[in-house]
Amino acid sequence: MSLRNRIVLVLAVLALPLTAPHAGERAASLYQLHERLLNQDGKPIDLDVYRGRKVLVTMFYGSCQATCPLIIDTLRAIERKADPLQRDELRVLLVSFDPERDTPGALREIAATRHIDTTRWTLAHADPSAVRRIAAALGIQYRKLPDGQFSHSTIISVLDAGGGITRQSADIGRADPELVSVINAK
Amino acid sequence: MTKNTIAVLLMAAMFLAGCGTAEKTPPASSAADTGGSRKGDFGPPQGEPVHAVLASPPNVPPPTNRHAPAKVIVELEVIEVEKPIAEGVTYTFWTFGGTVPGSFIRVRQGDTVEFHLKNHPGNKMPHNIDLHGVTGPGGGAASSFTAPGHQSTFTFKALNQGLYVYHCATAPVGMHVANGMYGLILIEPPEGLTPVDQEFYVMQGDFYTVGKYREKGHQAFDMQKAIDENATYVLFNGAESALTGPRALKAKTGQHIRMFVGNGGPNLISSFHLIGEIFDKVQYEGGTHFQENVQTTLIPAGGAVTVEFNTEVPGNYVLVDHAIFRAFNKGAVAILEVSGDPRPEIYSGKQGDEVYLSDKLSNPAAVETAALASASGTLTKEQQVKAGEVLFKGTCSACHQDTGAGIPNVFPPLAKSDFLAANHKRAIGIVLNGLTGPVSVNGTTYNSVMPPMSQFNDDEIANILTYVLNSWGNDGGAVTSAEVTAQRAATKRTEGAAH
Amino acid sequence: MAPLISLLALVGLAGVAGPPAQAADPGVLIAGGRFESVLPPAPDEKIAVVAPFRLDVALVSNTDFARFVRTRPEWRRNQVAGLFADEGYLRQWSSDTEPGTAIARQPVTYVSWFAASAYCESRGARLPRWYEWELAAAASATSRDARRDPAWRQQILDWYSTSARGALPVTGATPANYYGVRDLHGVVWEWVEDAGSMLVSDDSREQGDPNRNRFCGSGALSLEQKENYAMMMRIAMLSSMKAAYSSGSMGFRCATDAGLHR
Repeated sequence: MSLRNRIVLVLAVLALPLTAPHAGERAASLYQLHERLLNQDGKPIDLDVYRGRKVLVTMFYGSCQATCPLIIDTLRAIERKADPLQRDELRVLLVSFDPERDTPGALREIAATRHIDTTRWTLAHADPSAVRRIAAALGIQYRKLPDGQFSHSTIISVLDAGGGITRQSADIGRADPELVSVINAK
Repeated sequence: MTKNTIAVLLMAAMFLAGCGTAEKTPPASSAADTGGSRKGDFGPPQGEPVHAVLASPPNVPPPTNRHAPAKVIVELEVIEVEKPIAEGVTYTFWTFGGTVPGSFIRVRQGDTVEFHLKNHPGNKMPHNIDLHGVTGPGGGAASSFTAPGHQSTFTFKALNQGLYVYHCATAPVGMHVANGMYGLILIEPPEGLTPVDQEFYVMQGDFYTVGKYREKGHQAFDMQKAIDENATYVLFNGAESALTGPRALKAKTGQHIRMFVGNGGPNLISSFHLIGEIFDKVQYEGGTHFQENVQTTLIPAGGAVTVEFNTEVPGNYVLVDHAIFRAFNKGAVAILEVSGDPRPEIYSGKQGDEVYLSDKLSNPAAVETAALASASGTLTKEQQVKAGEVLFKGTCSACHQDTGAGIPNVFPPLAKSDFLAANHKRAIGIVLNGLTGPVSVNGTTYNSVMPPMSQFNDDEIANILTYVLNSWGNDGGAVTSAEVTAQRAATKRTEGAAH
Repeated sequence: MAPLISLLALVGLAGVAGPPAQAADPGVLIAGGRFESVLPPAPDEKIAVVAPFRLDVALVSNTDFARFVRTRPEWRRNQVAGLFADEGYLRQWSSDTEPGTAIARQPVTYVSWFAASAYCESRGARLPRWYEWELAAAASATSRDARRDPAWRQQILDWYSTSARGALPVTGATPANYYGVRDLHGVVWEWVEDAGSMLVSDDSREQGDPNRNRFCGSGALSLEQKENYAMMMRIAMLSSMKAAYSSGSMGFRCATDAGLHR
């Protein structure tokens, strides 16, 4: 199981382009999607909960053993590489593919087990159609398998204060220097 | 095991297999190997980025004339376009740069290439590109999958020199290739190629249409024929008359010509030949070493070759796939027109045209008649003589002469021969088994060698001897086939004894 | 002045009373069932189970879409959020709200996945899911599953052999298939709800890796029925398109779950 998920991540690295929306597109912002989510405390939030700050956003699901920790480790590695001032301002948003199993309670447990600082990180529950739209907006592919597991790509995006996607990376397991430089940029 | 690992293992296996072979056989040229990709990284790009000059077939961009690695920007657009494939026949080609084959790309080993693949918004299909000169997943295909109206960018370093095919690798790959999505990229060796007078770009491909060869109208791609490898057209540069008539390649006598020749496939291997010319130099498989003095060279599907030759004699030279029905029945023909002064000392053209009747059997009818008559038991002496004359003139007269006079002191005469007259039957044995050693005829001694003439059958020997006995003042008589048979059977001869 | 006002009124009325109203049922019921898909649900599971659903008989037309943007200005091309559509969005229309008479009855193209989804939702419907679309499209005029019929396949492949530059037929113009659905072949590519689930490698030659079973979710990566190129090409096209992309060859229709609620 964990091996398979590790494979998925490697495939993600292979299969997906690293793109940032180019300047030619109209100013796109993730916050143009208005989605009602629930955070790990069961509190209703909007997708733009961290508007005004730079955000690392990606998607995951709780019941896979390998990917979840690896994504969290990668996000932590990016945080560590950021300049201290930027790190304090940086926020992290993780949306689950799996609303059925990753209820707010389950998300809270993950946060506790992984010692996640929920003052700066949010683990979010979204209903299936919201999951679909958020994944589409972030360019993340995912597919629910008959056994309830998810096959998915992983892309970590940096949002600017207005929600614009400034940089994306499919790198897992290390802090992509391109992401770090965008975070550190003024 | 990840796909990545498998790919790496496969590549390693191929690499190792290649290494093993290299150890067993020495390279064709005396130079040591170029070191491949391990020695192909000349460091980071220097100077300002360069925009690559692409060329449409049959033209080739000029040499890069670079001496240091550069950043090269390549912009290639995919266009789906309906064009003639043969006279009165149109086909929807999917193209790189609007042509089949696609634009020729020329860079230098060690260059860093920033590749922009654009998919024209008017296209129906997504496309990508795999360049065989790229070291990296899919040769770029994994990083260039592009929807219509969009473009993808990826960067690679050209670590290996050589002439490489590029092609689209979107599912179904065979269909994209069969529709014309291939071209060549030349990665020059660091020292560049030796200057020549002209360079040409030719690429062979096989095409599969629902309709028959030259069936008029718009033709669709036939997947089943492609799977069966049953090509409808085999063409140079994507159309029957792409390189013929007014579009023929042109050169002059006294020129050193280089051709970059690729084979996009999708299926067929090319037996590439230039009628009337010899390839002085063939960089087989588009690699580094070369063979010399080659008539026909193989180009694998998805492969390429660089050929060089010198023109001496004016005329039309025909490029063909020497799997010859492809040339004459499926269109695999292109023309190189060479103009200039004639060189009769090298090739004269036709110098004479005369009647030629074979010495042998100038009138085979007589032999036929005798054979039939003999079979039906009605053979007459006249028939024997007539048949014998034809046979004698075809073979025996070479030594004994038409006049039967022989050659003095060399070959004995048969005319008025006392030797012959003394014993007719002995003559049968001489014709069957030959004669060596001294023999006296009409007072002169001859000591020569007559080889056995056992290749003649019994009828023929009987007829020849009958003719001889009744010619030039000999005393007549006849020899029957049965007599020859009896003597032949009684003679011990070694295996395979014949003329 | 009066004639002009009357004229405008007439035009207004025409806009309202024009092509079939949304209230009329544009779809047919398809029972679904077990279906062997080109895209297996899991590495060891080739059969997809499709619940009964209703599928629009014809593609959504430019006129249909114009009616939608008139009531939903946030989906007009001069106002649409950059996240939801790229510069190509509705570029073929003569204005932000009018497609123009020449293409009015043709299927709407140059629409993004977000826009197509929003349209269907405005009708209380959704985009069809890939399995639903594939099942409906497997039918010929006379057979429920014509995928092994070489003539049917060649007819579909013929569409790929034509240029995309010609004019599109009006919606509903192609013959109805076994289910009564039109325009599934030979017209345009179509968006599906789970276009983000194709999970196909950008390099199509990675398909069919023999170690499939070791890969999580590789069922989505390995396309079965390699001879079913027509479907493979549809999946290739869908997987090349991001949700905000639009294309002159990509249109859509809507579907709903069958049952008590629509």
